[in-house]
Amino acid sequence: MNEVSDSLLRYRSWRGTLQSPVWGSWAMARLSVAQMARRKLFWGLYALALMIFFFFFYGQYLVVWIQLQTAQQTVLFGGVPVKVGELTKFLDRLNLNGSAQTFANFIWFQGYIVMIVLALAGAVLVGNDFQYGSLPYYLGKPIARRHYILGKFLGVGLFVNILTTLPALILFVQAGLLYDWEVYYVDHLRQLIGIFGYGLFLTTALSLLLVASAVLVRRTVPLIMLWSGVFVLCRTLANLLVDGARLDGAWRLIDLWNNLYLAGLWCLGADLGDMKREQPEVWQAIAVIASVCLLCLVYLRKRVQAVEVIS
Amino acid sequence: MTPDPNPQSPDPLLLFDAASKWYGPVLGLNQVTLELRGGITGLVGANGAGKSTLIRLATGQIRPTLGRVSVRGLDAWDWRARRLVGYCPDVDNFYEDQSGREFVHTMARLSGFGRHDATRRTDALLERVDMSDRADRKLRGYSKGMRQRIKLAQALLTEPALLVLDEPLAGIDPVGRQELLELFRALASQGTGLLVSSHELEELEKLTNHVAVMARGRIAAVGTLQQIRDRLNDYPMSVRIEVAGAKQVAKTLLDSDDVTAVRLESATAIVVTATHPQRFFAAFGELVIAESLDVRSLEPLDDSAHAILGYVLGGSGKT
Repeated sequence: MNEVSDSLLRYRSWRGTLQSPVWGSWAMARLSVAQMARRKLFWGLYALALMIFFFFFYGQYLVVWIQLQTAQQTVLFGGVPVKVGELTKFLDRLNLNGSAQTFANFIWFQGYIVMIVLALAGAVLVGNDFQYGSLPYYLGKPIARRHYILGKFLGVGLFVNILTTLPALILFVQAGLLYDWEVYYVDHLRQLIGIFGYGLFLTTALSLLLVASAVLVRRTVPLIMLWSGVFVLCRTLANLLVDGARLDGAWRLIDLWNNLYLAGLWCLGADLGDMKREQPEVWQAIAVIASVCLLCLVYLRKRVQAVEVIS
Repeated sequence: MTPDPNPQSPDPLLLFDAASKWYGPVLGLNQVTLELRGGITGLVGANGAGKSTLIRLATGQIRPTLGRVSVRGLDAWDWRARRLVGYCPDVDNFYEDQSGREFVHTMARLSGFGRHDATRRTDALLERVDMSDRADRKLRGYSKGMRQRIKLAQALLTEPALLVLDEPLAGIDPVGRQELLELFRALASQGTGLLVSSHELEELEKLTNHVAVMARGRIAAVGTLQQIRDRLNDYPMSVRIEVAGAKQVAKTLLDSDDVTAVRLESATAIVVTATHPQRFFAAFGELVIAESLDVRSLEPLDDSAHAILGYVLGGSGKT
């Protein structure tokens, strides 16, 4: 008892002005990213994401080096002299040349990691607040429901961008340094804007989808099943319908990840005409993404209005 | 920021104005009108009586279906009102891999403190709840009592005018309880209004005798325990009196209109059952003076919080 009394004597009450509740949302976002970083299980996936980045990073460098230095030289491959340029043909498919396709491909591959991590982390980031009743700690603070949703949205968005937009920007800077940077940065301004645009599409769609689905199912295993349904099952089904059953390319609209890819390519200014597989129109893909986002927003608004956010 | 930025405000600290809350077809709170202006108020009632709903409404967690809940005139649902309210929930599900200090710091940032203010405030409050030396341990290793203290620290971050505590003493050892009770009293003396929901009636009695009794979604009674007891005329009070010549005293008391029964326990002790306790005590006082009675002790047997709750709730008083 004495200790408490002593501490009361030493205690200085606080006098000051509190910041806007939007800063509370930012604090939640930082907490979310910190929670992702603390899970050791995810570091394997982050390492994989880093490997993809390094592959593209050094791939761009390698391609330029081969083009400039050794493309016409030959090396012995299995005793047969082969041009170095021929050996690296497989890299052409990835377009490691600082073009719109380079960044689109990079984000596409990173997206797999992002989706897996989000499916695993959704329960930690959002679901647990509902499942185990820790929401009162958030909602007992001077923030409104919209700030809570915004905080979670920012948290997921921050994570998505750290894995996709940020490294894509580094690749863009690197590409400029590998070529004539004064010309490259001016000529490829559209790609720079496109990286941000693609990132915005990913951030908005994935954040809203994750928050809404985590509020809906709350636990890790159902969340993984739901995301597998949306991103794996729908994708397989779309491929079967369009490539297998030769149905209209519009059927690929059920593949949300493909829709995001198309929207990303549009942002990056890539030529969509030379795509090998039949695809829907870009506006259709964007309309589907917008619809999904709208549905998520309506669902979240309904949950917030019904107030039983705290169940 | 002081505990109450406007203590002279004509608006009550907490006001429930005919507030009702429906959960689908279930009525959680039924036309509750309650006004708190400060001090410590205990909130008691059986499980399902509506305590949690009332607390959630007071802290802006949920919105009333009908009526209004306000804090110093601000709608409790408004986030600005929550700058005046500190909430210590009964659940303690934190991010377990955070330390206590990190948790309180996070809550401080969430409350709108800048980085440096949040750090200073966290340190000050951890010291206030006597957790400074244990604050860097992971939450998963905390005992129930340590969790309660951390919860209390985060509830005090904004120097709230109203502190709502849901089962704050659950799981705390007697020494810890005493320390927390001391802290609650100190907070009340500094102008913080406290609304304390607790099943620990004995501990609650030590803290305050002003209670709001809830039953079936309504406020069944509100006031001091004595005020509530006095209104329970339908429930006669039992008083054990040790007095010399108990047999004669019993005979005299039976003549009183307010005394319904007298039981002779021994040659020097009787148990009197009386309606209208206040009138009985006044009349008994006069009798003691008039007859020069040698009263050694006088002990009301059923004015404890348990007994009163039993009468109000129509049960055993078990909450």
